[in-house]
Amino acid sequence: MGRNLTDLGLFVGKRLLQLIPVLIGAITITFVLTHLNISDPCSYWVPKAKRAQLDACISTFGTNQPLTTQFLHYLQTLATGNWGIDPLDHQPVWPQIMLALPQTLELVFAALFLMIVIGIPLGVIAANSNGRLADHLVRVFYLSGWAAPTYLFALLLAVVVAPAVGLPYSGAFTTLNPPFPQYTHVSVLDAALSGSPAYLWDAFAHLILPAVSLAFINMGIATRMTRASMLEVLPLDFVKTARMKGLSEFWVLYKHALRNSLITTVTVLGVTAGGLLSSTVVIEEVFNWPGIGRYSYQAITGYNFPGTIAVVVVFAVGVVVANLVADILYGVLDPRVEWR
Amino acid sequence: MSEPVLSVEGLSVDYTVGAGTYHALKDVSFEAQPGRVVGIVGETGCGKSTLAHAIPRLLPEPPAKILRGKVIFQGVDLLKVPKWRIPMVRGTNIGMIFQEPINSLNPAYRIFDQVAESVRIRRLRESGKVAVFRPGGAGFDYSRPRPPDRSTAIAHPFVPSIPPGPDPIRVDPTDGGKGRSVRSEVLDYLRLVRINDPETVLRLFPHELSGGMRQRIMIAMALSERPSLLIADEPTSALDVTIQAQVLTLMKELMDELRTSILFISHDLGVIAETADDVGVMYAGHLVEFGPVVDVFEAPRHPYTKALLRSIPTRYKTDGPLPSLTGNVPNLSRLPSGCTFSPRCALAQDDCRVDPGPALAGWVARPPGRTNSAACFHTEGVEGLP
Repeated sequence: MGRNLTDLGLFVGKRLLQLIPVLIGAITITFVLTHLNISDPCSYWVPKAKRAQLDACISTFGTNQPLTTQFLHYLQTLATGNWGIDPLDHQPVWPQIMLALPQTLELVFAALFLMIVIGIPLGVIAANSNGRLADHLVRVFYLSGWAAPTYLFALLLAVVVAPAVGLPYSGAFTTLNPPFPQYTHVSVLDAALSGSPAYLWDAFAHLILPAVSLAFINMGIATRMTRASMLEVLPLDFVKTARMKGLSEFWVLYKHALRNSLITTVTVLGVTAGGLLSSTVVIEEVFNWPGIGRYSYQAITGYNFPGTIAVVVVFAVGVVVANLVADILYGVLDPRVEWR
Repeated sequence: MSEPVLSVEGLSVDYTVGAGTYHALKDVSFEAQPGRVVGIVGETGCGKSTLAHAIPRLLPEPPAKILRGKVIFQGVDLLKVPKWRIPMVRGTNIGMIFQEPINSLNPAYRIFDQVAESVRIRRLRESGKVAVFRPGGAGFDYSRPRPPDRSTAIAHPFVPSIPPGPDPIRVDPTDGGKGRSVRSEVLDYLRLVRINDPETVLRLFPHELSGGMRQRIMIAMALSERPSLLIADEPTSALDVTIQAQVLTLMKELMDELRTSILFISHDLGVIAETADDVGVMYAGHLVEFGPVVDVFEAPRHPYTKALLRSIPTRYKTDGPLPSLTGNVPNLSRLPSGCTFSPRCALAQDDCRVDPGPALAGWVARPPGRTNSAACFHTEGVEGLP
């Protein structure tokens, strides 16, 4: 049938194999673009006052070598699991990214959660009142998030809303002293592990505003797709059947119609979730959130080539995994779909 | 006669599509007596489905608009029931089977979940824990007289006969739901609609079943709520001929066994003749003739009914081409003045073209000895038509 666990395993395996060419491509392109752009990076890496160290820098990083030689050298070190070191502070790149990634994932999942629990019902409401007032109000709501520049809403929240309602607007960690111990670097999880409600509330308070602004700018896609597919599903006969069973409108919409509309919405949300990782760049910068978005911003502006490549790889993996999860869910939601 | 289960009075429905207004139903009136099967027959687009959907308030508004009329079900005008109360009427009071079994089951849920949902709704309402439309009003009524044996009711040469089903009904669905698992009750209803190996079918998804099987599941679902009125909107039209005969046989047997009132919509005169006790003939949104099926088919009193019966293909008729009516069905947005059938009617006279006719003014009084009434000024001339 193509719907048992073996098929699912084969499907996931095949898709993960496809990850290899994607990663090779991402690494090559990012390497070439970063290195071609700046012919003499050592002049940026070494402070002006320390001209004497320039030659040392050139010999350490081999920036006077041909690009192909540099690339092969990079691949050789990468093959040993070494993602290179940050040329500015001479720290290894990978541990820094592994420290930043959980913070960003926390932000992304919080935003996804909001997009699902608010965006999808809004789409159902819009479809059900197609062309009437509620439909237009919902459209105004999600279009204003979609159309506004990414930083605008984040800045509004951080500058106007946060002081007004007394929420913190900076950083992922608690402002309480002493801070809770960091096990996972997912602040809500760590706060929960500390077992103190005060810590948990504080971690949530820090998360709310960045998550809301990230969700708001991306919510339109969930609402719009849900509305469009609900409009396709609602005239179908099985919706009439559900009505004629005597179910109330709520169950007709959310149990019978939405279940079939979600198939499209989940596919699009998968694509969006991959993109959410990279759209955290601005949000994290505004809210001073120590995640991978902020790290990538600093890596790019600081000519941190190994850091930039590693960030691009993380983003690429994120996009592929998000799409894979969407494709798995596609099969879970629609019994007619086979994993292959 | 006893109080009718359903009585439709002067029901008029318009569709507004773009700039045009289409009169889908115009002053339709009829009654469905308890325990009887009322057939509604007519061409495509004559308003049969609109009628079927208007009764349980399933019409999408807009584009549809119920202009006037009453749909009195168990003494309550459904058109006056507030919208939030309508779901209480559906399922346990009025059940419905649709035309396309391909689309009428939810593709995302297993058969068990879908049938069990119906059983649970009925149990919840029977338990008295939720508000119901009319307490005690629902359910099959076994106190009613058993309808006459329909196998000998009609011996019309035009009507093909359908062979009786192979096995008798094995399950009496009315032996209480209390204390039994939902699953065993679901299995009973699947057996009731003659599904072999119901244990396996329970676990399947709709796309793994054939059209005939899906329609059986639909019938099981509708019956599992024990409605006092079942609306069947062309339940066999989308099935191929052999499956059609099987489903029809099943429905006939269930009708005799369960004695629920049924509104049976079909474009197929043979199907109506086989299943219905009373029949209404529709033309361009009007109900032009209504009466017991034997009388209507043997001695039609409306020229359209006569023409319709004449155009059934039969193996007995081999002389020349099949007769058909001249002209076309009128455009529903521009109905002719007077009687809608007058442009195509051999009996039409000047009064037919001006006066909207008895269809609007109520039924013409039945002559003595006749039980079918027709919306026509010149019923006495119908018998003389070819």
